[in-house]
Amino acid sequence: MKNSKPLRGSLKLNWALIGATLLALGSSLAWGEGLPEGGDAVIDDGSITDVFLENDTHVRGRDASGNNVGLSKFRNTLQVEADRRLGNGWDFHGTFRGTYDGVYDLNKSEFGKSAGGSINLESTLAPGVYLSTPQGAGLVTHTLVSGLPYPGAAGNAFVDSYPNNPNEGLRVLGDNWHSIDHGVAFGVPVRPCNTDSRGCKDFGGYGNKSQSELASPEFNDRLDFIREAYVKKTFDLPDNKQLFVKVGRQQVVWGRTDLFRVLDVINPVDYSRNNIYDELQDIRIPMFIAQSEYRMGGGDWLQERNVQVVWNFDKFRPNNLGQCGTANVILDAGCLFRGLSNLWDNGGTVANFANVAPGTFLSTNFGPHQIGLNNVELPEWSLKNTQLGGKFEGVTKGGVNFSLNALTYRSQLPSLHGGKSTVNGFTGQYSASNPYLISFDMVYPRVNLIGGSLDFQWDAAKSAVRMEAAYTSGEEFANTNKAELYSKNNVFRSVIGIDRPTFIPFISNTRTVLFSGQLFWQHIFDHEYTQQSLGYSGMPDWKDNFVGTLLIKAFLHNDRISPQVIFAHDFNAQSWVAAPQVEWIVSNKFKVAVGANVKWGNQLSNYKVDDCRSCNPWAPFTAPAGEDPALAMQSFSRGLSGLEPLGRFRAGPIGTAFGENELYINAKYKF
Amino acid sequence: MRQILLAVSMALLASGAAGIANAATDADVEKSFFPYKDGAPTAEGVTPGTVINKGNVDQFKAVLDEGMFKVIKNGWYEIKVAKTTSFDQDKFYIDATKKNLGGTKLGPKTGDIEGFVAGRPFPEEPSESDPRAGEKLAWNFKYGQNWGDNALISPFYWKYRDLESGKVEKTLKFNFGFLNFKHRVQHAPVPEVTPNPANLFRGIYVSVLEPQDLKNTQLLIQRYEDDQKLDDAYLYLGFQRRVRRLATEQKTDSFLGSDLMIEDFEGYNGRVADMKWSYKGTKNIMLPFYNHNEMKLSSDFKEGDGYKYVDFHGQGGCFPDVTWQLRKVFVLEATPVGSSPIGKRVFHMDAQANSINRTLIYDRKGELWKSWTIGKSHPDSHLPINKGTGISIDDSFSMVDMQAKHCTTGQFKGQVDPKKVSPAMFQVQYMRGGN
Repeated sequence: MKNSKPLRGSLKLNWALIGATLLALGSSLAWGEGLPEGGDAVIDDGSITDVFLENDTHVRGRDASGNNVGLSKFRNTLQVEADRRLGNGWDFHGTFRGTYDGVYDLNKSEFGKSAGGSINLESTLAPGVYLSTPQGAGLVTHTLVSGLPYPGAAGNAFVDSYPNNPNEGLRVLGDNWHSIDHGVAFGVPVRPCNTDSRGCKDFGGYGNKSQSELASPEFNDRLDFIREAYVKKTFDLPDNKQLFVKVGRQQVVWGRTDLFRVLDVINPVDYSRNNIYDELQDIRIPMFIAQSEYRMGGGDWLQERNVQVVWNFDKFRPNNLGQCGTANVILDAGCLFRGLSNLWDNGGTVANFANVAPGTFLSTNFGPHQIGLNNVELPEWSLKNTQLGGKFEGVTKGGVNFSLNALTYRSQLPSLHGGKSTVNGFTGQYSASNPYLISFDMVYPRVNLIGGSLDFQWDAAKSAVRMEAAYTSGEEFANTNKAELYSKNNVFRSVIGIDRPTFIPFISNTRTVLFSGQLFWQHIFDHEYTQQSLGYSGMPDWKDNFVGTLLIKAFLHNDRISPQVIFAHDFNAQSWVAAPQVEWIVSNKFKVAVGANVKWGNQLSNYKVDDCRSCNPWAPFTAPAGEDPALAMQSFSRGLSGLEPLGRFRAGPIGTAFGENELYINAKYKF
Repeated sequence: MRQILLAVSMALLASGAAGIANAATDADVEKSFFPYKDGAPTAEGVTPGTVINKGNVDQFKAVLDEGMFKVIKNGWYEIKVAKTTSFDQDKFYIDATKKNLGGTKLGPKTGDIEGFVAGRPFPEEPSESDPRAGEKLAWNFKYGQNWGDNALISPFYWKYRDLESGKVEKTLKFNFGFLNFKHRVQHAPVPEVTPNPANLFRGIYVSVLEPQDLKNTQLLIQRYEDDQKLDDAYLYLGFQRRVRRLATEQKTDSFLGSDLMIEDFEGYNGRVADMKWSYKGTKNIMLPFYNHNEMKLSSDFKEGDGYKYVDFHGQGGCFPDVTWQLRKVFVLEATPVGSSPIGKRVFHMDAQANSINRTLIYDRKGELWKSWTIGKSHPDSHLPINKGTGISIDDSFSMVDMQAKHCTTGQFKGQVDPKKVSPAMFQVQYMRGGN
């Protein structure tokens, strides 16, 4: 069986970092004397407070299990934004947000306390012959194994029943986007953790939340209702240079891309709010950061020279990938984690697992502390766990705007380290190390990034062009060729984007339609994908992956009505999403958006990868049927594959959301 | 053959005329900057206190541009006539004009200029016999003193209005900053802000303070000294929190949903090279030049210093409630060289200020699309900081979409205060320093 895994690239476009190096251009020709050296101080905006209320209502159709989901979001947000002049040149900005999502009360059977139910899992008795049995009624049990003819069989740690893991409040892992398809599967608790605590762990700000915490996520021990609270000041220096300082909870945005991130990785992102479809401004998780910019102005060769240092001194937080049982669980990763965590804590039935004969894979009743996810190692606050970045941003004589970036940070996606200490199911013996066993700890490795970006105007194409690239070291990826089921790989990511406003006569002769296209490329160095006797082993992530996005946006009636459609295509996953929307700005105070997002692609088989059923961690008991006796004592993957648990990393955020087509209406009112 | 020789001769003549530095004299400078020294223009019936309205507009057709005639004929607006007054220009600018007189000439292509140092490059009276007279007026405008060396409009209110119902659909509050990197005449550093390796000529910086959905939106336009080089324009979107470079075509799109495009700012905000210019003659027509402090002002927005804005009235509230003067104007036609939603612009350039105060914008079918008015206040009848500057203050604007029956109006608080505008404000990085 399977896996290790670092959530990687799925967000195939989620990007890491490293490094540290800043350029500091030396030259210091001064601006002419006589002009003021500051710009901020001259504009007296006074103090401003804005308050607005938003309702975001989403309805979802049928998922892959045939279940009609219905209401998937009824989120009501009150947000207050305040600016204050503090005196002596210091300004304060605060953004405060409180949310109540009524979906947990209004659609209890999908997302609330009565979500999930009893499930059936599967055994493949012979090719084409399948047996469906409930969770807890796996065919390989303590009793069955006790009868096997090996010494100590009676001491096996498989179980016959699950008093702590009843067949209720469950869904089959991944059933919203695919069927079991005769592969690995197990039950996943889906109710809020105050109703059902099975599998609940803090994976990094999510995974152990009660219903009230899910409905109102800002009110937590990290005080997330304070979206932003910082002070800033520009210090005027001689020669019209400036030092800009901004300290507090804030977002620091690097890069020039939309939708996906290459360099914009300083703040983690809350994908639980609306997957990848909300504005990043609303889903970046603000951190306590001190940033400073030394703005040197022009020099001999550059029209602008700016050096920025960013110190994220907040306690580590990763991306919020969404708790299983909620509407937005990107990559379905939160369900994998909760399911694995439940397997560790309570044991559980795993479908189509035990390869007892050629073509025969029996559902297996694992006991507690044998497989699954044990520890989550969240970095504590310490100086060495803080994150530091630097950027040089310049503008050339010819108007090319560019940046050079470096960052050392903690991966915002988790990595699962396998082969950890467990009880051997067949012997009942504890072992500190179990190479190739799907017993995991979750970690967030340190990553270093160097990169850069630029943009320029391309007049011949009447376009603006933007590019970004980043090279990281330290990222970890699932890799079934490794005893701990992961490997560290350097990664190169890049994007080229082109914005081209174009007149479309049937829409408007006087206002262009914006076409904005982007092509992302991710390359994993030292990628491993190895032919084995039963398939391929190695890394589920693609060695090279491309994602294209296209935004088409029109503006009508003085920009008060704006229809748009966003397309995204994951080339390797062969998945698509189209997100049409019409926004109507009714007045200065009120706007409404109506839209949908629809995903398609029918290449589920393309997502099948090594699931490590054939890794033989408890040799010789777990050797695949028919294995060469000379290899029966060796632990390594023979490449038996399926959709779970690692197919999600091939399917990506679009492919894993095939069952999440939605219609929505968003209304926002400013008081 | 004879026709070919004639054409070649004409071409040589034209190119020779362009290549020779103009032969303007001090008298030309005096006439250019003080056109009313020997008396204001007159027209029958155009006397202070006269109101030109729907009922009598036909008799004033000669002193109205085509667009304003149509507006009044439609009963949308009435013009109150005031005495023509001199809007004396900045002494330093006039001195620079005199000092550099005769040193500027056009280059071979539209958008080429040679020998320009500072001041008004072509102060001589335009001549219809000069095939490049229009281009010279365009240069006079480009190197004009619309906001002096640097200035700020803060705040600057725009209202989007339905011309027919009068409903105000949206109100925006801006700050606008202007800075000349080069050809500065009065405020240090003179003549140039350095270092300036990209050789920028001018910058315009815009930030949106309200409403909430546009708050923190910022626009930066950098215009190069080399007119053949495309402007750089950047937009910072508050909701994206990053700077986007604008492509050329976006400069002729509606700016933030208003009836203006970026290219409309200040009368015309583009390169000389972007247009084919044609001088269409000199006229005396009505322009909205007035004394701000003598107007009936609005109580719309409260300012701590008691400043009040020009009021708007007429159809849909689309027109400034100010007095107009009979003034000498140069009529200048500009046809876009590249793709544009505009068929042509007809500018009415005030002969004294060389500012563009009335523009008729035609669509590609040749039909009048927009009527664009910028009202100027005498600086001595405005904020104390503006007194004595010699900068005619942009004080009110009205952009009427004649086809869509929609308008955008603007109420300025212009401040010719160089201390309030820093070169740092015109850097891309400045946009990233906000929220």
